[in-house]
Amino acid sequence: MPADALRFLPPARPSSARPRLQSGMATRTAGPVRENLAETDLIREAQAGSRTAFDTLVRQYDQAVLRLAMHLTGSEQDAQDIQQEAFLKAYRYLGNFRFECSFYTWIYRIVTNLCLDHLRRRKARREDQAVMIDSQGEEMDLLTNVSDDRSGANPARELERKYLGQRIRAALEELTPRERMVFELKHYQGLRLRTIGEMLNTTEETAKNTLFRATKKLRAKLAELR
Amino acid sequence: MNCDLAQENIVLAVYGELPDDRAHQLEQHLAQCERCRQEMEAVEGLQKAMAVVPVIEPSPSLVARARLRLDEALDAMPHGGFILRRWQSFRRGFGRLQSAPVMASALLLAGLGAGGWVGYHEGLRTAAKQIAAKPAAPAPVPVLADLDASQIVGVSSITREPDTENVKVRFSRMVPETAFGTLDDPQIRQLLLLGVRNAMNPTVHNDSVDLLAHECQNGHGCNGGPIRGALMVALRYDKDAEVRSKALAGLEPYIAIDTRVRDAILEALLKDPDPGIREKAIGLLTPVEADSSVRDVLHTVATRDQNPQIRNVSRQYLEQVALQ
Repeated sequence: MPADALRFLPPARPSSARPRLQSGMATRTAGPVRENLAETDLIREAQAGSRTAFDTLVRQYDQAVLRLAMHLTGSEQDAQDIQQEAFLKAYRYLGNFRFECSFYTWIYRIVTNLCLDHLRRRKARREDQAVMIDSQGEEMDLLTNVSDDRSGANPARELERKYLGQRIRAALEELTPRERMVFELKHYQGLRLRTIGEMLNTTEETAKNTLFRATKKLRAKLAELR
Repeated sequence: MNCDLAQENIVLAVYGELPDDRAHQLEQHLAQCERCRQEMEAVEGLQKAMAVVPVIEPSPSLVARARLRLDEALDAMPHGGFILRRWQSFRRGFGRLQSAPVMASALLLAGLGAGGWVGYHEGLRTAAKQIAAKPAAPAPVPVLADLDASQIVGVSSITREPDTENVKVRFSRMVPETAFGTLDDPQIRQLLLLGVRNAMNPTVHNDSVDLLAHECQNGHGCNGGPIRGALMVALRYDKDAEVRSKALAGLEPYIAIDTRVRDAILEALLKDPDPGIREKAIGLLTPVEADSSVRDVLHTVATRDQNPQIRNVSRQYLEQVALQ
């Protein structure tokens, strides 16, 4: 087998999937030392009661949180609710943050817990979220966001992709909430397993095993389609 | 490497989580194992399939709407956060507050006591001169019903009505008042500037600096003297590092346009005892880093600051400047 085939590359995803989280900061050309310092100051100021500082912190993370919640829940409205609840919680419990982990991890821990709650509730209600819903309750056409020059010219293929999309969402729904969460964070959000472990309050090893189970289940489900 | 392990490693490899030595071992295994090669293809196929459900970037209008909702919710928060912190800082200030009414009432009693003592001796003297019965004393001015000791600031004069035991005491009372307004309101700003000078009540002082700094940071008309001046004074002289930090933040927008502000920050960089403040000061100097006075100070700090991290950061800064 040629050596090239074994060059393992992470799955391609749009460059906006992992934005530089410091984009919310002012126009300073900063090195990593100064940026971490600036965030620490911000957090301390927010803990001391500065709403401005808290708002600045929120701006650095809320877009990423929305993106995650939107893809996980499939609904703009649910995503907004999760984002809101997450930052309200952060505001309420900011005093408990003692810099034992990064603020990023701390926020994401709150968000993932809320997402898990959402997934568990949904499973209990057996809702079918095979398509994405926008805030008007209209079905969102996922394909308009996937660039593929050929799909426009071939409606049959487009239909097939839509069908496949629904089947994949259904397969994702069959994972347990934790498996879904780990898969989402690893595959779609591109986080490292170690970080995922921290966010879910578990070890990297456990996150790894959860990922294996998730991919196995998904492959089994999708094999049925072929 | 057996196939079970290889299959797990395949998943890790596809997600970029396989360490290099294990990747090498996996390569070796795949070269010999058809089944695992197929497994590899299957996992890669899964990757492609999942891409049919892509991550969508939230639209700017969604982000804006969500932020607005959050802002409103934060404003409306009934408990925790704000009130809890106010309670905590009130408790802290309470210790100082407790002594104040005692002092004020002591002042009143001292004043009345002194007046009474003087009046008594005066009375003794006149009584010795006059033997005639005095007319009935006129009905005394009723004592103010709610003489709240904590509101009285001082007794200014005591007058004794001749031939009587009546004493007139002039005193001043604080009349608490409340002003409502936005931070743009000039009356509010004036009050905040006075609040900055309140050395007795640190909560008031700190809050005033905080709010004024907030205004300046957001560019709400801190042009002209007093507010900027108050922040510069706070930066230079306040004992509380947090207050100095807030003042520093409030001065940031003016570094490039006001040399006094720049100099105040340079002074903080050289003299402030708190390393956190000194580091923050360096960070704020970006717009004026080409100024020779700034570079001079950075040179000094790079060699003489006690804190090694600060020395480091200044050196990095100077290198950056040199490269421009």
